[in-house]
Amino acid sequence: MNGSIIGHLVLKDWRLHRSLILLTLAIGFVALLLAQFGGLALVLGGVWFFVVLCVLGSMLPASTILNERKKQTLAFIMSLPVSSVQYTIAKMLSIWALFLVPWLTLLIFALVLIANGHVVPQGSVPMLLMLAMLPLIGFCLMFSTALVGESEGWLIAASVLCNSSYWLGWYLLARVPSLAANLKAPVAVWNAPAITVLCAELGLIALITGLTLFFQSRKRDFT
Amino acid sequence: MTDLALDMRGVSKKYRYFTLDKVDLKLPRGQIMGLIGANGAGKSTTIRILMGLVHQDAGEVRVLGHSMPAEQVAAKWDIGFASEDMRLYDSMTLGWHMNFIRSIYSSWDASYAQLLLKRFGLRADQRIKGLSHGQRVKSALLLVLARKPKLLVLDEPTTGLDPVARHEILRELTEVMADEDRSVLFSSHNTQDVEQISDYITFIDRGRIIDSMDKEAYLDRWRRLRLEVPLGIDLPALPGVIGVHQRGRLAVATANAFVPDLANAYESTGARVQCIENMTLEEIFVANVEHSREEVEA
Repeated sequence: MNGSIIGHLVLKDWRLHRSLILLTLAIGFVALLLAQFGGLALVLGGVWFFVVLCVLGSMLPASTILNERKKQTLAFIMSLPVSSVQYTIAKMLSIWALFLVPWLTLLIFALVLIANGHVVPQGSVPMLLMLAMLPLIGFCLMFSTALVGESEGWLIAASVLCNSSYWLGWYLLARVPSLAANLKAPVAVWNAPAITVLCAELGLIALITGLTLFFQSRKRDFT
Repeated sequence: MTDLALDMRGVSKKYRYFTLDKVDLKLPRGQIMGLIGANGAGKSTTIRILMGLVHQDAGEVRVLGHSMPAEQVAAKWDIGFASEDMRLYDSMTLGWHMNFIRSIYSSWDASYAQLLLKRFGLRADQRIKGLSHGQRVKSALLLVLARKPKLLVLDEPTTGLDPVARHEILRELTEVMADEDRSVLFSSHNTQDVEQISDYITFIDRGRIIDSMDKEAYLDRWRRLRLEVPLGIDLPALPGVIGVHQRGRLAVATANAFVPDLANAYESTGARVQCIENMTLEEIFVANVEHSREEVEA
């Protein structure tokens, strides 16, 4: 046995999808730099920043999970010394890393730009985090649907649901007075509503992940 | 260590439109078993249960001494599996796949892999996307063979191949099987391929194993007797004869447990035995399936 099979599967997914990650990072960086010009460029850059994360969240589950079924490479992977639980864990690790690396990199870059620039006030940082969590939740839901549902139809349904809900989420968050009031503050204000929203978002991610593991462990057919 | 590479006992799996029904299958270590069945007979379901990819509803499965599906990880280190519907990653090269498999299996034999590349006429730097069906099958087999598994499970590997590619693959498999410790389960609906390389033959139809035994003994048991039957004589039902088709004065009796006395038994009724013919595996398969279906329907 050469090393951990889970490690090999994670590395395999990374090698297969690195160009997608590089492309996402490139578009994300351009969007954030564009936002530094303020005005219309700020709106355009902000929209691109979120859109690129939403698109990545939709593409990764389709490309890493459903394509393995559709293109019949799953049989090749499952012929290796791997159980269905190990496959699920490897898939979760690789796909989470594939999403989190660009998500975190772009988020940190955005925070650095806010801290060092004068276009966006630091009071918007909590809102930026709350809004950026939405594509993460959407990705989590689409990934779980693809893994458990094993069908393109279910993934499309989840994708439509998520992509139409992002704008609603952003609209509702922007209308919470205690959150909106601090947007133009010179420093980030971590008040109770902001902490509550962030905790609720993290809790939702944990719940979806737990349910995914539960349903996967009950599967009897894995082809 | 058990002497059986595969041991299935009373294995059942129920789907909405198909049931694998109490399958018993044994393959001694070092032997080659051909699993023959029509499309939809249950070959792939049987193989997927053996690989731990599908969990049986009832029955016990042991592969290389490991209980399946619980110990599938331990078992799969020593199993090489390739199936007709298995695909490699289109966007990557064969070389990338070879490196991937080599990174997992310490048993990977690099020099043998290079030899197989040459024999199969493959190039490591070619993307899978650009390969023909035959080259893809050969690539999958290369990845399996170069890691020297103790058990090879091949699900219809020659389906859809041209005669040259089929010949190349069967020749390689014949060489691989010279290793007496290696066991092989080879499923196909092409009886010629199975007849060429197998020691044991198993027929499966509509989810049931209808026969399983040593190939030579099996071929020896089946005969076709061509008879001339004078008017007014009725041929009796004789033990070992599964069917008699008569048109006018000519009859053909198919025996699945032929003994020389069978000809004497027909002669004693007044019929004349014109000739006794050996049957090909394909003819045996068709006769066996038809007989089995008649028995079930009766």
